Amino acid sequence: MSTVPTSVQAPLVCWNCHERTLGTHFCSSCGKLLQLPPGIDYFALFEMPRNLWIEMGALEQKFLQLSWKLHPDNFVNASEQERELSLKRSSELNDAYRTLRDPIARVEYLLAIEGERKEGETKQQAPPELLEEVFELNESLDELREAKASGEDLAELKSRLEAAEKNFQEKLHDVDGELQATAREWDAALTGDSLTRKKIMARLNDLLNRRSYIRNLVTNVAKELAEV
Amino acid sequence: MGRIVGIDLGTTNSLVAYIDAQTGQPKCIPGPYGSTLCPSVVSIDADGSIIVGEPAKRRLLTQPERTIYSVKRLMGRGPGDIQDELKLFPFRIDPSSKNVIRVRLGQKVFTPPEISAFVLRELKNWAEAFFGETVDRAVVTVPAYFNDAQRQATKDAGKIAGLEVLRLVNEPTAAALAYGLHEKQRGRVAVYDLGGGTFDISVLKLISTSEGDIYQVLSTNGDTHLGGDDIDNLLQAFVHERILQHNQIDFSPHGELAQELRKALINVKHQLSEADMATLRFSLPNGKVFAHEFTRGAFEALVKPVVDRTMGPVKQALSDAQLKPSDMDEVVLVGGATRTPLIRHTVQEYFDRKPHRELNPDEVVALGAAVQANILDRGVKNMLLLDVTPLSLGIETYGGAVAKVIPRNSTIPASAQELYTTGVDNQTGIEIHVLQGERELAKDCRSLARFTLKVPPAPAGLPRIEVKFLIDANGILQVGAKDLRTGEQHFIEVQPSYGISDTEIERMLEESIEYAEQDFAERQLIEARTEAESILTATAKALTNPQAASLSAEERSRIDASVAALKESVAGSDYKLIRKRIDELNQATEHLAELLMSCAVSTALEGRKLAEV
Repeated sequence: MSTVPTSVQAPLVCWNCHERTLGTHFCSSCGKLLQLPPGIDYFALFEMPRNLWIEMGALEQKFLQLSWKLHPDNFVNASEQERELSLKRSSELNDAYRTLRDPIARVEYLLAIEGERKEGETKQQAPPELLEEVFELNESLDELREAKASGEDLAELKSRLEAAEKNFQEKLHDVDGELQATAREWDAALTGDSLTRKKIMARLNDLLNRRSYIRNLVTNVAKELAEV
Repeated sequence: MGRIVGIDLGTTNSLVAYIDAQTGQPKCIPGPYGSTLCPSVVSIDADGSIIVGEPAKRRLLTQPERTIYSVKRLMGRGPGDIQDELKLFPFRIDPSSKNVIRVRLGQKVFTPPEISAFVLRELKNWAEAFFGETVDRAVVTVPAYFNDAQRQATKDAGKIAGLEVLRLVNEPTAAALAYGLHEKQRGRVAVYDLGGGTFDISVLKLISTSEGDIYQVLSTNGDTHLGGDDIDNLLQAFVHERILQHNQIDFSPHGELAQELRKALINVKHQLSEADMATLRFSLPNGKVFAHEFTRGAFEALVKPVVDRTMGPVKQALSDAQLKPSDMDEVVLVGGATRTPLIRHTVQEYFDRKPHRELNPDEVVALGAAVQANILDRGVKNMLLLDVTPLSLGIETYGGAVAKVIPRNSTIPASAQELYTTGVDNQTGIEIHVLQGERELAKDCRSLARFTLKVPPAPAGLPRIEVKFLIDANGILQVGAKDLRTGEQHFIEVQPSYGISDTEIERMLEESIEYAEQDFAERQLIEARTEAESILTATAKALTNPQAASLSAEERSRIDASVAALKESVAGSDYKLIRKRIDELNQATEHLAELLMSCAVSTALEGRKLAEV
């Protein structure tokens, strides 16, 4: 996942017949299952451009088609090397499908292969414009925990937190909307100049971090409220 | 290479099935007692020989301390996990148990996979007797919600029984395969599988493509400790209480008396699947008879908690698949416990759809296993199963939290890579703890493995080790590591937290072969005697038929002589002699068999044996 792919596929030498081959899945000379050629990222595997809008039906069809070819069931009686390869290839296929099917994971993956997002990057700093609200929220959460410990009446605190939860849910919804709009911009700029693309990616990256921050908040509040 | 079969290794009963070459349909293989169900009960004799199935089940009443049932509940579990089970099940855990549980059976100590292996070997024997050929490979089913350790333990059991387990298939998925083949179902299918000890719910999508049918599992959920056994436990607790109240008898829940009561209650439960009322009559040690009349209503009120517990997983599975109950095209009921009307009604009401139960709920999982076995054996290329991992895979991070690397309901095989480096100069090892489960803290998840990545000494942060976690098509974890600086692959020996080592498995396999040789002759004898009994009964009955009067005196005396000879041989212990005498009697009764059928049929069936008529 950390390799930066090249758009041109280099010819590969088949592990079995040692011929040069251009196949993505099977050797063009001997027909044996191949290692996934370097440079084939998840989008290329599904023969799709690096668009952020994906037609789900087409993605599923391609997934099922490739599953027929790569699944370990087909290689039960094959050599150990082929069995291992099929395990590797079909797990890569499933990983790819899982990633591209999920709109958020898809953006994360795109930024990773474009080199615009480091693996494991989820900066947990509050976005500046949310600082005040986050501060209030944390105070309410502390009060709730204290009130719970001392057995005080929780009704007022609870409704305050519920309002805050709703507020952040709405913010999450807004971020999702912004992400979608920015994704459309990306698709339109796919063949455009690299500066524009870099700028869009920086915005996508910010949105992802913001989203993950807000989502954690919502989860935490929901958890505290569930325990009341 | 020998034959391949599909095996349902159940909590209460196990079955073995194959694909009939003529019809292409799966079929279960009957054992020596005529039933396709082999009770998953193992007993050990005073001389150390092993008894499996129906005869072992009978010994539950006479020699409970030498007999074990429901061992599936212990598979892949550690001593700390099973305290609840111990209150309800008469497992005698040996103090030598460390990570792997060891149970006492008579004078000997066994691990759960070894005991399951006895059951698997018995089924292997059934199949070999049926085919007249060796059987060396199998597809074995497991509850969909089984974790890595429970799956590994099942695979180990296969190995110990001398079977290559080509694939572990999830039980509800197997059932869907059997139904798909039978009913030509399409669309979205929910499989509700309540067995003896486990509950699974799976949501599948059946897709027809130009290449063939795809069975894609969308989500699965369940409870590996919820089943018909729990219904029996509730009934038993209820009656124990009553007997204590009215008769002041408090018997240990694990003794012979408790086993007898359990048997009687299971009978009542079965009756209530058909009738509105059933009566328990039970002889107490004080000579009195305890009687209790169960109405279906009272029974249902008693077992409702068990049924309610299944609905949480059902809702979770649907929500994970992002579907509503009304989105389902078909609902399938699997497992003996779904014969209980309350369960059928609850499921029907929830999905607002009449559930399928055309196929025998006891056999359907084994039938599906046979279908998958056939796919793998012959490379039948018109069907493909895409299953999922039931639990999220995670790695422990700072502060005991868990980072999820493969989410639950990911299609398998699935993998994830994580990059590791060192925190201090010249650090030589990185500790990795792999877990399975949905909770956020490592202590609440199931520990799968702990291992140390070896790192060559270097300044902190310089080493770059990529660890690859791969869940294979059996749902079992493999781990590999690669040093990204040198490109060197490391093979990681992962000692599973609750597993048995390969060397131990080898030893168990050897011991198990010894057992197998020891009881081979005995088994042959039992089978020959059983067959002799049935042909003797059939002959005696046939001789009372008016048609028998037309036998010649010579024929009649030959039959009588053969019967006497066979009876004499049954009293001895030479199974080959019994077989020979059976053949002789079969020949002597050929004409009698023909006489018993109408002339028209008899020409078609010429040469048939009396027992088959």
